[in-house]
Amino acid sequence: MSTFLQLAFSGLALGTTYALVALGFVVVYRASQVFNFALGELLTAGSFLMVGLCTAGWPWPAALLGAMTGTGLLGAGIERLVLRPLIGRPVFVTIIVTIFIGMILRSIVLLVCGADPVGMPTPWDPTAAVEVGPARVLVSSLVALGAGAITLGSFWWMILRTRLGVAMRATSSNQETALALGIPVGRIFATTWFVAGAVAALAGIFLSMFPRNLDANLGFVALRAFPAVIVGGLDSIGGAVVAGLGLGLLEVLCQGYVNEHLGALGHNFHAVFPYLVMIGFLVVRPYGLFGTREVERV
Amino acid sequence: MPTRALVTTYREDSRLFADLWHKIAWVLGGVILLAWPWVVSARWLTIGVQTLTAVVGSVALMILTGFAGQVSLGHAAFLAVGAYTAAIVGHALHMPFWLAMPLAGLAAAAVGLCVGPFALRLRGLYLALVTLGLIFIVAHLLLSFPDVTGGVSGLSVPMHTWFSAPEGTSSLGAMTHTGSVAGVEIRFSTKLYYLYLVLAIGVCLMGVNIRRSHSGRAMMAVRDSDLAAEALGVDPARTKILAFGISSFLAGVAGAMYAFEQQYITVEPPFDLHMSVQYIAMIVIGGIGTIFGAVAGAITLVMVSPLVETVTAGLPLLSELTSAQRSTLVFSLLVCGFLIFEPLGLLGIYLRIKRYFLTWPFRY
Repeated sequence: MSTFLQLAFSGLALGTTYALVALGFVVVYRASQVFNFALGELLTAGSFLMVGLCTAGWPWPAALLGAMTGTGLLGAGIERLVLRPLIGRPVFVTIIVTIFIGMILRSIVLLVCGADPVGMPTPWDPTAAVEVGPARVLVSSLVALGAGAITLGSFWWMILRTRLGVAMRATSSNQETALALGIPVGRIFATTWFVAGAVAALAGIFLSMFPRNLDANLGFVALRAFPAVIVGGLDSIGGAVVAGLGLGLLEVLCQGYVNEHLGALGHNFHAVFPYLVMIGFLVVRPYGLFGTREVERV
Repeated sequence: MPTRALVTTYREDSRLFADLWHKIAWVLGGVILLAWPWVVSARWLTIGVQTLTAVVGSVALMILTGFAGQVSLGHAAFLAVGAYTAAIVGHALHMPFWLAMPLAGLAAAAVGLCVGPFALRLRGLYLALVTLGLIFIVAHLLLSFPDVTGGVSGLSVPMHTWFSAPEGTSSLGAMTHTGSVAGVEIRFSTKLYYLYLVLAIGVCLMGVNIRRSHSGRAMMAVRDSDLAAEALGVDPARTKILAFGISSFLAGVAGAMYAFEQQYITVEPPFDLHMSVQYIAMIVIGGIGTIFGAVAGAITLVMVSPLVETVTAGLPLLSELTSAQRSTLVFSLLVCGFLIFEPLGLLGIYLRIKRYFLTWPFRY
């Protein structure tokens, strides 16, 4: 039982970061139908920015906000410079261009920060743990859960209750109508990229805390969040959150319970497992758990 | 925009060589390619062999992505299947390379035909994600059976000329031995170069012929709008699966070529997402939709990489990156630039130059 609780907590903490990354994908996709393959590299850049700000002597909360804002601005800048001129071009052009933007970002991160792993500074003792029932849970995991919940909650509130949220929903339901009604669609695109960058930075910061650390390959975690996006439904924010949490939990539980029973296939099976789930979903329900069903008319 | 003389008949449209200039270009290119091993250094001969491998791989991707419009991030998985098939049949059955290559293609095509049906339900982005998953799944499977594939430590690739005795002594000597014809020494890389040259030209001709035949036109119709294609009587399902089959077969052959050239293969690197992305870079830089684009892109990416690496090594900031990372950075910038400013790639630049001379002295 204690093993299960321990696995469940670390699974939920991992799931929170997946949910944040998935949110970053969905926000951008809903507004502009662009799937942002560069998000993983934005996440790495944000985490390195955080480390840099902490080393520069910023207090931790200020550094967190600074890193999120900085990464958000980076995302918005990419949208303005690269994605805006590509509006109206085929889907695969945006897929390819975001992949290569990711590679450029990765080279820049390697250039500026080097390839050596660094630890993520935390205001609490990074190895500290508290007893929750029979299990010992890292403080970092609990904070990740809390911060994720606050971010997702405030994003939810923004989407439902603010002018900006209404404008974003209008843009995602019909760009041309939104434009005709005076909503600055271009600026909304930039805003969605800002949000995506900021939540990705948050996810990266918590992902690179003890026992993991931060290096230029952290961004590959975004590859593991893809299945969450598909399973939840590409255009459903709630779906991304639910599927992110679920897949994080499933991945850790699979690592703990299933891997050993598969013999030779079991080594690292948990890393492939989300993809198998995703492919299964794509065959049965391509629009995901909560996504809108695409209707095609001739 | 006039870039060639007006085509008035169907026969003229489907000619293999559009005009005299095409024939001259083929002859000139052929002379350069045949003379290549005798005029360049050993390093550039190796690069030439790698380029020919890349040409086969990028033509394969061009048929799938450029003709049929199916975005694939899983190209590396097909190459991996081909490479490992070539290595395994070489070890287990002592099979000569001229049988191993088509077998590698067939093995990859079998995987491709399993993925193809996904393309019937999914398009664009979703398909890209499935093929991305394919890379991880194939890599996982290859690493899971170390008895057959060597696992993480990899596998050597024997290249037999004929079925050899189990001790590995083939009756006519392995391909890797230096032979001599009329007193001239022919090294392994030279033999490999001519073999790959024949393969690459054959694959290019095959690509051009697909493009001008009805299956290629069906692919392009599906790429532009599969609903409209279906309304016109093209079967999108059959066309997409055909594209996947041909593309993965050729990718498997390219994988076998890669394996024979390297003589020792591991799973990742090289057969990871980065390789897929490099092939995408080739077809984008060359120009999506034509075989010329695939060839030009492959040549640019493989041939220019060493140049880029040497040039950027002198730049103050960039010298901190490894040479591979430097060329990745430069080619990523190139791809983004081409996508934004010249979607037709090198082909587009060529067409612009051609138009300038065709319409001279007018600016069109």
